[in-house]
Amino acid sequence: MRLGSAVGRCAAVALVSALLVGCTSSQSSSTVVKIGVELPLSGGDAANGIPTDNGVKLAVEEANKKAPAGFSFAVDDLDDAVQGAHDPAQGAQNTKNFISDSAVLAMIGPFNSNVAKAEIPLTNDAELTQISPSNTNPGLTLGDDAKKLRTSHPDVNNYFRVCTTDDKQGAAGAQFARKLGLKKAFIVDDNETYGKGLADVFEAAFKKAGGTVLGHEHLTKNQQDFKALLTKAHSLGPDFIYYGGTTVTGGGLLRKQMADAGMASVPYVGGDGISDPDFLKQAGSMANGSYYTVAAPETSKLASAKDFVAAYKAKFKSDVGPYSANAYTAAMIEIAAIEKAIQANGNKLPARLDVLKAVAATKDFASPIGQVGFDANGDTTAPILSIYKISGGKAQFLDQLNLKT
Amino acid sequence: MQAGRYSTYALLALVLIFPLLDRNNSHVDFLVNAGAFILLALGLNIVVGFAGLLDLGYAAFFAIGSYSYAMLASPQFGIHVPFWVMLFFAASIAALFGILLGAPTLRLRGDYLAIVTLGFGEIVPQTFLNLGQWTNGPNGISSLDRPSAPGFLLGAPDWKLHLFGLNDATPYYYVTLALIALGVLLASNLQNSRLGRAWMAIREDELAARHVGINTTVTKLSAFALGASFSGLAGVVYSAKLNLVSPDEFQFSVSILVLSMLVLGGMGNIWGVIVGSFLLSFVNGFLLPQSTNLAHAVGLNLDFTNYRFFLYGAILVGMMLFRPEGLIPSRQRRAELRVALADAGVAAQEQTEYEGPPRT
Amino acid sequence: MDILLQQLVNGLSLGGIYALIALGYTMVYGIIELINFAHGDVYTLGTFFSLAVLLGLGVTGEVHGLTLVWVVLLTVVAAMLLCGVVGVLIERFAYRRLRNAPRLAPLITAIGVSFILENAMQLWRGPSPVAFPAVIPNPTLHLGGVEIAAKQILVIVLAVVMMAGLQLFIHRTRMGKAMRATAQDRDAAQLMGININTTIALTFLIGSALAGAAGFVSGVYYQSTWFFNGFEAGLKGFTAAVLGGIGNVAGAMLGGFLIGLVEAFATQFIPQGAQWTNVVVFSVLVLVLVFRPSGLLGEALPEKV
Repeated sequence: MRLGSAVGRCAAVALVSALLVGCTSSQSSSTVVKIGVELPLSGGDAANGIPTDNGVKLAVEEANKKAPAGFSFAVDDLDDAVQGAHDPAQGAQNTKNFISDSAVLAMIGPFNSNVAKAEIPLTNDAELTQISPSNTNPGLTLGDDAKKLRTSHPDVNNYFRVCTTDDKQGAAGAQFARKLGLKKAFIVDDNETYGKGLADVFEAAFKKAGGTVLGHEHLTKNQQDFKALLTKAHSLGPDFIYYGGTTVTGGGLLRKQMADAGMASVPYVGGDGISDPDFLKQAGSMANGSYYTVAAPETSKLASAKDFVAAYKAKFKSDVGPYSANAYTAAMIEIAAIEKAIQANGNKLPARLDVLKAVAATKDFASPIGQVGFDANGDTTAPILSIYKISGGKAQFLDQLNLKT
Repeated sequence: MQAGRYSTYALLALVLIFPLLDRNNSHVDFLVNAGAFILLALGLNIVVGFAGLLDLGYAAFFAIGSYSYAMLASPQFGIHVPFWVMLFFAASIAALFGILLGAPTLRLRGDYLAIVTLGFGEIVPQTFLNLGQWTNGPNGISSLDRPSAPGFLLGAPDWKLHLFGLNDATPYYYVTLALIALGVLLASNLQNSRLGRAWMAIREDELAARHVGINTTVTKLSAFALGASFSGLAGVVYSAKLNLVSPDEFQFSVSILVLSMLVLGGMGNIWGVIVGSFLLSFVNGFLLPQSTNLAHAVGLNLDFTNYRFFLYGAILVGMMLFRPEGLIPSRQRRAELRVALADAGVAAQEQTEYEGPPRT
Repeated sequence: MDILLQQLVNGLSLGGIYALIALGYTMVYGIIELINFAHGDVYTLGTFFSLAVLLGLGVTGEVHGLTLVWVVLLTVVAAMLLCGVVGVLIERFAYRRLRNAPRLAPLITAIGVSFILENAMQLWRGPSPVAFPAVIPNPTLHLGGVEIAAKQILVIVLAVVMMAGLQLFIHRTRMGKAMRATAQDRDAAQLMGININTTIALTFLIGSALAGAAGFVSGVYYQSTWFFNGFEAGLKGFTAAVLGGIGNVAGAMLGGFLIGLVEAFATQFIPQGAQWTNVVVFSVLVLVLVFRPSGLLGEALPEKV
């Protein structure tokens, strides 16, 4: 019967895959404690995801050199990119995988804020520690939106982040623009969670700081030609253009095409979405005269980061990514908390809640990104913002803002 | 023959008790997602497989089903229609949109119809994204209502209503299984009904069908409506489990993925479609990532998940060239599609042999 | 008024690219009634090939004088040739077997080919946008209050020239006549002694070569390329071909310019228009296909029984 032969084929495939699954699980004599890493590791986001993953791997490798007796640490990294871009459903599935695996005591990730929205309810339910190196959307920890994500255990906060949130980044951008004497802004964003969120915060903060917003438009996905939009902006006479979004979604091309629209000398201000080297390539000579904020410290300026950068380069033979240091720090915090919990538990595998409590109590933790601690909401107690200007074809560090609350 | 039937029963039994065997929640979660895509494939099968209307924008209906649930069963507007009622509502809303979006295509030939549906497939998600006031734009709508059921069905020792757990996909698994069973029943009954034969007629030769007295308008619109209703169901289950709906989940790649499932499994054949859908979900969700892990483990820097689109493309091209009727074909479809590869004369002979109602 | 004129220029130059893509679409559809989904990706391939040639020649910025002339010629010819070959290969291996199949089959195959090409390009240059050298100097002309970049003029002129060239070819040469005959009635043309396979292969060659040229122009104009460009550009190119009247070469050019203008004016006049451009363009597609499927310059073809 035709269906039967198909059944036979399905069974064969299932068997092969079971073997594959079996082959990739590891065995060791000591108790393995896993750190789950949930990042986009393929497709367009991989350029960010992989260096971030590497940060965690470096931390785990160093921790294993001095792990408590009878224990070792391992990284379990899962990819949340499907069809080449981060996917909330895949992120949720990966998270469930970590939750089902009793060896996973803490999790790092995700990279993107909208994936976090799918994951936080799950990790909250399981009381699993989750630290993100790069989620900047304020709604994940503040306000009603955050409460809605924590329905299982509303008074337990299990989600933390080591990066500064967009409400601070957008506000800092606005202050900086005003400091430069710029009064009239035309805002463009890429209509994605990060970009639109940042742009909205910037708009509110800029107005509050006494500026005028002439217009706020959103790009269409995969758009390549911005001349019509720039003509529209030019006709309103802005002092500068603020871009909320990333290089890939149009930040670089938008800047470049400003020259053709008669706005070659109009400054361009953005967030960490345009902090990558691709922006310089995409914008060409127009990159000069752009400013951007980054929700992380400049690693070359921190003494504490020098060792990390050197070790990273030695192990991975490539430069650090913008969030590698954040991921490394997050992993260090989790490992320290796990070690503390192991000790408190009489050298036995601790419960996830114990690890969570230890992480939540983190204060003044020395790391490559400075002294890190978490407030009651899970946000970092030492938010740092760096401001850069591009001139002479290179990014120049201008200023660092320590926005201790 | 006997072995075939026993292995089928064994497989069905395995499917029924799988969540009790495998305690890893992410596996059950994966199966529920695969099940939602099986529902989508069954729905598209009605439009493309039964009625021969190439719909390249099916993800639009998936979006409509998901957003209906998100807007009517969440804190977004404060409306909280129960999950079980939403299944009917969303299916109906999607069916309505099936009619609305299908209406402009009535007078169009095959390829133009495909392009218009593709256009709608782009318009609908972009509109959901842009109408931020209602849909929260790129942030999507989160904290969707979870379904609830009497306790004893969820493993609790009482009859009170409990919410489905966040980290337990098992209840969703059984709901999806039930919906698939319902879908299969509906689809096979439709296939063997007058409407089903009308679909077959317009699929083979629309002009002739019209001249024989078939109301092509009603026939086509019902194909769109019924096909879309399946995606309404899939949308509700998928979003409820994910607890969130986000506009970037409904890109063109989803429409193509579902179409590839159909082409792989066998257009027009219900069981073929189910097998094709599951196979592709499996390859996508397990085989590719695990192969990548294996490659990394032996030191190769290959990433098979980057070849995903290559795989879809190869399936579409390969199947159309060599086995257009799919892995599990229906005899009828094989005869129709193989005309291209045979002599004109032989094909004419094949087509005059009518074998009665098509069997799945 | 100035804004209107400026947006007119913007729209025409954007539309010029669509027009170039539409020319290839309309040719292929006219002859075998197949929407060659992969056409948009051949266009992107043209940009990738051009990039490879330019990088091979060591061009990273603007070039001037005589060097400019032969660099451009070399790159364009190479891109057109390579794309033409790709087009012929696609026709030969993916579409030829399905010439007599129900319409569904070659359409699905075309989608498959499109995906394969996109993935190949992603593996070639990565998933992120890639910078493309400027090549041609781009002085800006100031006419009244309107700024026109030299490249914008280039695109518009090229679209018109290509269209004219194609018209000449189709109406004044023997091969062109063979194409028209095949488009009109394939079996009769065969009976008249026309080699259908060669004619169709030539159509794909020319159509894909045009896409290659469009790819070069696009690379030079935007100075950036991305493996996924072809999907949208192709879709809009097809919209343009349909708007103008599928099978009609002048219509393809007209349709291209019109779509570009629609986008530019939608951005300018719709509040927050930049996010609605795709919705507007695809709505135009739907409306045209529903109310006037023959397009602006096409003739209503009776359905042959």
